[in-house]
Amino acid sequence: MSLVNLSHVCSHLNNACKARLGLTSIPNSKLHLKLCLALQNDGLLSSVVRGGPTPPPMHPILGTPNAIDESEGLEPLTQSNIATRRLWLGLKYWQSEPVLGKLTMVSKPTRRVTIDVAGLRRVIRGERSETVEGIRSPGEALYLSTDKGILEARECVEKKLGGLVLCRIR
Amino acid sequence: MSLARPARCLFCTFSRAASAGPRVPSRQFHLSSIQLADRKPKLPEFNPPEGKTLDEVYRDLKLEDFKPYTEEEKAALKEEYTPEQIAAIEAGEAAIDPKDLHDQFRLRRDPMRLKYLDDLSSIEPGVDKHVRAPKTNADYNATFKSDDDLMEDFVQYFINSPEDPEPADLVRFLETNRVTHGKEENELNGHSAIAPNFLNEGETLEKMGDNVEERPRYRTREGELTYVNPDEPTEQEKKLFQVTGYSRDYIKTLYLKDLVVRRVSNQTRLGKIPSMSVLTVAGNQKGLMGIGIGKSDEIIDACQQARARAIKNMRPVPRYENRTIFGDVKGKVGAVELELMHRPPGFGLRCQHLIFEMCRAAGIQDLAARVNRSRNPMNTVKAAYEALMSQRDPEEIARARGKKMVDVRGVYYSGRKIFKPWHETPRVGGPRVAEGEKKIE
Repeated sequence: MSLVNLSHVCSHLNNACKARLGLTSIPNSKLHLKLCLALQNDGLLSSVVRGGPTPPPMHPILGTPNAIDESEGLEPLTQSNIATRRLWLGLKYWQSEPVLGKLTMVSKPTRRVTIDVAGLRRVIRGERSETVEGIRSPGEALYLSTDKGILEARECVEKKLGGLVLCRIR
Repeated sequence: MSLARPARCLFCTFSRAASAGPRVPSRQFHLSSIQLADRKPKLPEFNPPEGKTLDEVYRDLKLEDFKPYTEEEKAALKEEYTPEQIAAIEAGEAAIDPKDLHDQFRLRRDPMRLKYLDDLSSIEPGVDKHVRAPKTNADYNATFKSDDDLMEDFVQYFINSPEDPEPADLVRFLETNRVTHGKEENELNGHSAIAPNFLNEGETLEKMGDNVEERPRYRTREGELTYVNPDEPTEQEKKLFQVTGYSRDYIKTLYLKDLVVRRVSNQTRLGKIPSMSVLTVAGNQKGLMGIGIGKSDEIIDACQQARARAIKNMRPVPRYENRTIFGDVKGKVGAVELELMHRPPGFGLRCQHLIFEMCRAAGIQDLAARVNRSRNPMNTVKAAYEALMSQRDPEEIARARGKKMVDVRGVYYSGRKIFKPWHETPRVGGPRVAEGEKKIE
């Protein structure tokens, strides 16, 4: 789990949103993929596709990359091509503002921040717990790496899970 | 030398000169006004009878001088006073014995004299109302004398003239005899050519002549009469009504506050030119708020400008439950960086006065604020405005993410919604529950 690469991803997504890009790519890793799927699940990303160095073919109507293309089919993931795989992310905008607001890392490569359920309860109520600031604005979200995968803070409380705090979305 | 009087025009020298005494061919080389009152006898002053000193007056007073009012005097008093006042006067007269009055009557001149006897015949500067000279010598009712009147003047002159008239007397009469009826000043020293009285009082260019309507006068709050109608909106106000579409009554109900008043100056090659700059906040205390800046030489003018602009700039401020803001917001203008934080019901406005007034204007009741780095008043207000306007609507966020949203705080027991959204009617009341989390599912 490289937080350095995750930090780079966060910065890259911020920059891509500021530039109002519709499609961008990040290096492929299991952590990145799971986080992106969590973001997509929360409606922050329009699509997450694992592809090669070139962008995957677009859906003719939606304008977003297809996970499974009918004509070419999905390129199988093999040991020979895994190093060149990238994650192609479709970014969303609403009223010319990026839906994915600003991503900031909570844990740093030099300092990993973990939190337990009691602390998370305080955090989602808007209070501060140790070094983790409370969630105080509408649309704010905190993503944690737990035993059950990468989850949002409120889901963690539902499932009574603590974990490593990865990043925050404002 | 007085500069108040305008210089006389060249043509005035051709018209009949204003001379009080016998006419001497002389030109006026100074600007001070002509002494007009010389010919008139001055106000009658208190003069002791001629040839008698004050001591003699005292000595010659007799007991018979102090006698009760005659019937004629009483009749004269009756015209002036009410019966009760006359009764009081008579009672006062009866209370003093004429003999005592004769013995003790004295006009005191010593320094220990009683000073409450005011001399009302003279005007005391500093005590009495200042009597100013008339603004103009013009007499609007002056008319020229007819031939008959002039003839009568001649007849009077010849009747009153001595046995052997000198030619100089006749010349003096011809030069000083008046040719108009009305105020003497009007004839001798009327309006000047620089500021002529083209129109009579109350006349306009459209309406001239005898049938001039009297302009209506209005009473101000202080009770003074003016020509300005307090109910009539000024031009500036009319413009504001037109631009904003607000009625006068509505604007009167708005909350206005001048937050920053400062003197600014512009450095030019002629020197520093000072002016006043005012920043005002306006709001209806129900979710509308705006700020405006006005600059002018005069503070009152700058305030009016700023208020009009603030009213014009009023925009809706999102309010959660009509009492606080949606989430924590940040604003930055210049070196002022501030943070506004939402708070639970009953928390109040715990912030500095500028932000307090803005929240009051907008109708926000629960809020905390932190101003970091600089605390420049003007930039603080601007940054707070920016922060309040940068609130994000949760409904919009949910729509952007394609999610359904439920405000947990708005749901109580059987799913009944207690608080309506901020853009709907203001909240009437509701149970106080703990601050819940706005959950996006």
